[in-house]
Amino acid sequence: MNKKPTKKLIVFTILAAALILVSIFADRLCPYNPYAQDLSLSYNAPSAEHLMGTDTYGRDMFSRIIIGARASILSTLALVAIITMFGTAVGVICGYFGGRVDSVVMRISDLFLAFPGLVFALAVAALLGGGIINAVFALAVISWPKYSRVARSQTLSVKALSFIQAARLAGDSPVQIIVRHILPNILGPILVTSMLDIGTMMMELAGLSFLGLGAQPPIAEWGSMMSNGRSMLQTYPWVVLSPGFAIFVSVVIFNLLGDTVRDYLDPK
Amino acid sequence: MKGLKKSVAFVMAMALTVAAFTGCGAAKSESGSDTAQVIDGKKTFTFGDTTFNAENEEANIDPHDTYCGWACIRYGIGETLFKFNDNMELEPWVAESYENIDELTWQIVIKDGVTFSNGKTVDAAAVKACIEDLVAVHERAAGDLAIDTIEADGQTLTIKTTTPKPTLINYLCDPYGCVIDVEEGNADGIVVGTGPFVCTELVTSDHLKLVKNENYWNGDVKIDEATVLTISDGDTLALALQNGDIDAAYGMAYANYPLFENDDYVFTGTPTSRAFYCQMNYNSPVIKDDAVRQALAMGIDKEGFVNTLLNGYGYVGVGAFPDNFTFGGDVVKTDSYDPEAAKTLLEEAGWVDTDGDGIREKDGQTLTIRWISYPSRQELPLLAESAQATLKDIGFDIQLNVTADHGTIVAEKDTWDVYAAAFVTCGIGDPMYFFTTHCLDDSSKNRGSYHSDEIQKLAEEMNSTFDADARGDIAIKMQQQILDDNAFIFCSFLRMSMITKSNVTGLVAHPSDYYEFTADLDIE
Repeated sequence: MNKKPTKKLIVFTILAAALILVSIFADRLCPYNPYAQDLSLSYNAPSAEHLMGTDTYGRDMFSRIIIGARASILSTLALVAIITMFGTAVGVICGYFGGRVDSVVMRISDLFLAFPGLVFALAVAALLGGGIINAVFALAVISWPKYSRVARSQTLSVKALSFIQAARLAGDSPVQIIVRHILPNILGPILVTSMLDIGTMMMELAGLSFLGLGAQPPIAEWGSMMSNGRSMLQTYPWVVLSPGFAIFVSVVIFNLLGDTVRDYLDPK
Repeated sequence: MKGLKKSVAFVMAMALTVAAFTGCGAAKSESGSDTAQVIDGKKTFTFGDTTFNAENEEANIDPHDTYCGWACIRYGIGETLFKFNDNMELEPWVAESYENIDELTWQIVIKDGVTFSNGKTVDAAAVKACIEDLVAVHERAAGDLAIDTIEADGQTLTIKTTTPKPTLINYLCDPYGCVIDVEEGNADGIVVGTGPFVCTELVTSDHLKLVKNENYWNGDVKIDEATVLTISDGDTLALALQNGDIDAAYGMAYANYPLFENDDYVFTGTPTSRAFYCQMNYNSPVIKDDAVRQALAMGIDKEGFVNTLLNGYGYVGVGAFPDNFTFGGDVVKTDSYDPEAAKTLLEEAGWVDTDGDGIREKDGQTLTIRWISYPSRQELPLLAESAQATLKDIGFDIQLNVTADHGTIVAEKDTWDVYAAAFVTCGIGDPMYFFTTHCLDDSSKNRGSYHSDEIQKLAEEMNSTFDADARGDIAIKMQQQILDDNAFIFCSFLRMSMITKSNVTGLVAHPSDYYEFTADLDIE
């Protein structure tokens, strides 16, 4: 592939931006109050009035999916932003300064990488108790080492280049060198890593909620909505399929965007 | 390229899933027309149960161990001296009659011709040995029965109690009272009883294998072999019944009921005294406000909860007992669901929404209620979420914590406001049980430190009353008192249901929830 996939990039960026806009303006887009119960409407099948039907408590599924985007997408983006920033900062510092701090921090990150991710997140989330913030924290705790690894190795290779030597000879302080010269040069691979991570993180967050360790009722969140609807798969399938479809669409869009960004920045 | 691969993989996974469900559909239509379960000339029956497990204190079938007696009596291994009929009144079973000689002395006559499944005759001496072992090892039974001495003479058993026990015979009908042959011991938790089935194999929280009791004293047992499978997940249970792995199920999730509402399956259900109730914490300043408790009672849509969320498989609660008891149902009065009246009430009591966020405040305190409950009874999370919404309309901020760890939270005095739980209020056919466990100053489950002089007085009166009707009258007064205080809200009573394939007969739900497998159980 010699041509940069600009068109694809634009399409997926628009789609992803649309998802983010939906989650930001969710409360204005909902046709019904997503939390208002009306037991007389319980388990209505999808219709023109209720596009995705209603759930056990007679709440409009379509409105809940839209408001659920907020918990699912915005928390995922926040999570990815946190681990990208933290992981990169740690990685750059270790890579640039090296020495004892580097060995200690990298052994700690090895420790985290050695655990199966979701299992460890489960343990952390269970320890902290339910709640979307706690779930984000639990996933952040286990996910940052990947970024620090990438940032460290990139920093090491950039650091050896002659323009860094030149900057050092010119009397720049380490902070100046990191901010002005190293970060701009390692941003590409880190951006690609985090873009590709959005889909995974969304699934893991939904997974924790599905297991009851993420969003708590009555908060609408796709993973917990699927969990609540689990037993209705045969009887009222829309209750479980609607959030499942929402997760599917969002994860696919963010994954394709991540792939395109990688192809665009790094067309090997 | 990776993205395309992923998409293709996903489409294939979806196709597989669809294929899997198609398989289910086919299996379902076959199992519906199943013929008799006869293997090698033997009639076999398989039962799926969500509650037979160690977590539920039913690790085995030894009635002298915690709540294991429930499994012993449900699966037809053990039988008690007397049993309850459909109106929860006593009738003879292993015993023929009893006589209350004086306040402390009871004489029980054991039926002639009753045998243990090992062939040994049941006489007064065997029952004496069984009860003596029970009170020696089972703390709850020892407290309930307060036995001083037991004498055995032929078929006549004479029991003396240390204090007057008007409900001694009722307590002997508790599953811990199963008559077992204690000389046989309880190797691997397996005991020898007098029931229609004999246990041959037991794996805790997994399964139980039973065979017909060839020596059964009370008729011919129709099923040759039976298996009880512990299936803790409601969805697995539904699938097991659909594809024919089991012939009958106990503990099906309400949302799955519509799958079985057709000619291939039969529901057997009965009202029980298992109440889903809210207990108020008087240690909480907000709850101490009479208006708040009354508004809570008016703000729960009991009808909607029962009719919609439980698919109609339940009964709206008023007092502590359902209406199949003379002292239950609407013999007592309480406020019904009335959000407007609740709003007015709170308004008058000074709870007003001053900042327009929909939640009321008074003296700088918001109307926040910490609602604690647990998920192992499937009705409780439904109740919690529906109450959260109806109460929010009135101006309550309900913070739910539905957790398996509810015990430790409720044990603290200041970490909760309302505790929603399930409890069998009249398991032994007598009303006093609920009050002694929940409403008195020294009650073990009086978690919210409720106190009423009137209730204390009535409880004393009840303890010295032997006449059942008089006890019922006192129970009505006591219920009305706790309802007037709004110390408890009784939301609904469980309609206990078992779902069987249409070729199963003789499996009938009983109000006590004790008796399931009998000699009449059959499969055609």
